[in-house]
Amino acid sequence: MSPVSLLKWARLKSPWILHFNSGACNACDIEVVALLTPRYDIERFGVLPKATPRHADVLIATGPVTRQAALRLKRIYEQMPEPKFVIAVGACASSGAPFKKCYNVLGGVDKVIPVDVYVPGCPPKPESILYGVTKLLEKIKEAEE
Amino acid sequence: MKAMSPEQEAVNAVKSTIGNSVLESKVPRPRRVYIRVKPEAHRKAVSALLQTFPLTTISTITGVDLGETIEINYHLWCGKAEVTIRTNVPKSKPEIETITDIIPGASLYEREVHDLLGINFANHPNMTRLLLPESWPENSYPLRKDWNPEQTGKLSDSSEKTPTIGGVWTENNGSSLVNVVVGPQHPMLHEPERFLFKLDGEIVIDVEPRLGYAHRGIEKGAEHLMFFQDVHLVERVCGICNVAHTTCFCQAVEMLGEIEVPPRALYLRTIVHELNRIHSHLLLLGIAGLEIGFESLFQYIWRDRETVLDLTEKLTGNRVMAEYSTIGGVRRDLTPVLGDEIKRDLRKMKSRLKFYREVFQSDPTVELRTKGIGMLSREEALKLCVVGPVARGSGVRSDVRKHDPYAAYEDAPFDEVLYKDGDSWSRLMVRLDEVDESIDIITWAVDNVPSGPYRTRVPRRMPEGEALSRVEAPRGELIHYVRGNGTAYPERVKIRSPTLANIISFREMIRGCYVADIPAVLVSLDPCFSCTDRMAFIDEKSGRRWIWTMNDLKARRRTL
Repeated sequence: MSPVSLLKWARLKSPWILHFNSGACNACDIEVVALLTPRYDIERFGVLPKATPRHADVLIATGPVTRQAALRLKRIYEQMPEPKFVIAVGACASSGAPFKKCYNVLGGVDKVIPVDVYVPGCPPKPESILYGVTKLLEKIKEAEE
Repeated sequence: MKAMSPEQEAVNAVKSTIGNSVLESKVPRPRRVYIRVKPEAHRKAVSALLQTFPLTTISTITGVDLGETIEINYHLWCGKAEVTIRTNVPKSKPEIETITDIIPGASLYEREVHDLLGINFANHPNMTRLLLPESWPENSYPLRKDWNPEQTGKLSDSSEKTPTIGGVWTENNGSSLVNVVVGPQHPMLHEPERFLFKLDGEIVIDVEPRLGYAHRGIEKGAEHLMFFQDVHLVERVCGICNVAHTTCFCQAVEMLGEIEVPPRALYLRTIVHELNRIHSHLLLLGIAGLEIGFESLFQYIWRDRETVLDLTEKLTGNRVMAEYSTIGGVRRDLTPVLGDEIKRDLRKMKSRLKFYREVFQSDPTVELRTKGIGMLSREEALKLCVVGPVARGSGVRSDVRKHDPYAAYEDAPFDEVLYKDGDSWSRLMVRLDEVDESIDIITWAVDNVPSGPYRTRVPRRMPEGEALSRVEAPRGELIHYVRGNGTAYPERVKIRSPTLANIISFREMIRGCYVADIPAVLVSLDPCFSCTDRMAFIDEKSGRRWIWTMNDLKARRRTL
């Protein structure tokens, strides 16, 4: 196995995730945490939550982007090593709704950083987020082949 | 002589001290009092109330833009009634004397009104931004009616400056004094907030929270939607205690429109409200386990929490966002089969609770990390006007369900849980015991739910007027103040969530604690946000910066 394909294999088998909330109401966030718990157990896919962006491959972003959090979100994305991927979890992270017209909200996560997978729902069920993660893994696999 | 009602007592307390400054007083419904006083008399009115009712706490301050003037409403809970003391200030000179020296708990509310409506509270100790970003332009106040939505300022790097508490720190005599910035990015569930800790070695000297990373502007947004649409917007203030928000808002609108809610709906609201409380409390107890380094406890509790989410889904159609209460009732009915299932599953949950109680009472890890740590005395709790389990952990009676009953709580058999020690452990135990009480309430409500319709038709237009509604959210007293103007759109919606009331006490709790206790103490507050995944440490002397992760912090845990 060449070093490049070894890296790809490792990434597909164990994507490390970072979760950042840029102004969400916590509903998506608790569903993301529920993924770690026994019923959903996302670790069986090798997914491991990390505490710092420097260790993460995938950013799970929840919530609309508020003015105060926008630059933070951008910074966190910049700190992640290449290649990096973003999953926007929830209706707010996807488009900003229903806070789209609120004065302190810029809109969805894609206003600030590029997004690879959108998971709709308010909040999405843990199964949907799981499905979104596996979709992303498929996308990575296809892109690199 | 007939005994005086508490409402009348409150009015008399204010009138007897500053009788000639009281312009108007009314008692529109039980336990709600509105007193209008002349400008500058509000301080005396608050003092008078505090003298007659020593347990008075401030609920919140609402500012309403009336065009030429801005009305300031001080909502105070005097133990028996919610007294609103109001006065007007001219928009041309928006200044009013602070009441923080009388009630220190008003500090954050005054800053909020200052931030969003541009009222200057004279002599306030720290009149700085609370919610809006640092890049927000001066003299742009979003809750004023004449505010121009273009005035939001540019996104700049100004918010990225390293914050400091109280300027330069000079008493550095060789010891390792440091400022610690915590947040706003976290590994897990919590909302983005930033805390600045001032440390002497391992000991926390001071802390200042910076809120507003999740400030979206819902109060303004609510003014642009119709009442029935707002139900869905306020549900999304907080995804964890969403049922409390919808129930509170619907109650306020029902008071405003004098809508009679069918009794069956009141019972169904109670059931979902308590299911929501169980899910929220279990969530917090699990996170507490995680923060004290007891991960298996977190996994166990969250596994059992799924039961409650399943029941919520079966009853309301959604796991988390219940979308259950609506103006005039609830959206779905409870079938007898589901009622039996709820009772059966909660019986199982009750036996699991015995196990968790044993863990929290006898496990040495829990004891070492929570007992005697993060102290909040009863006096401080009253002074800072904390609410919910935080207040009850310090022995302050504050359960809205008991003292200002709504929905079906008037008849529900339950006890107010009180612990006297005021440490992290007491606050966690209050929640554990409340889960037990909630199970009893739900079982009782399912057995006694009256038959009949569960929803009435309501008009879209609501009359002119005002209503203040309080509920006991999982984190404490939640307040919605709604003002109608005769159309289908509200004139003003004010929301005071319990965390804003409680966060002020964090400073009191954490002073003198070790760095490693920060996560456990903060989580015992059950904030809708928490700190710590990454901390930037700045050495005051050399200006050297370094980064610690949460794991490094846990490794620095106090060894006894």
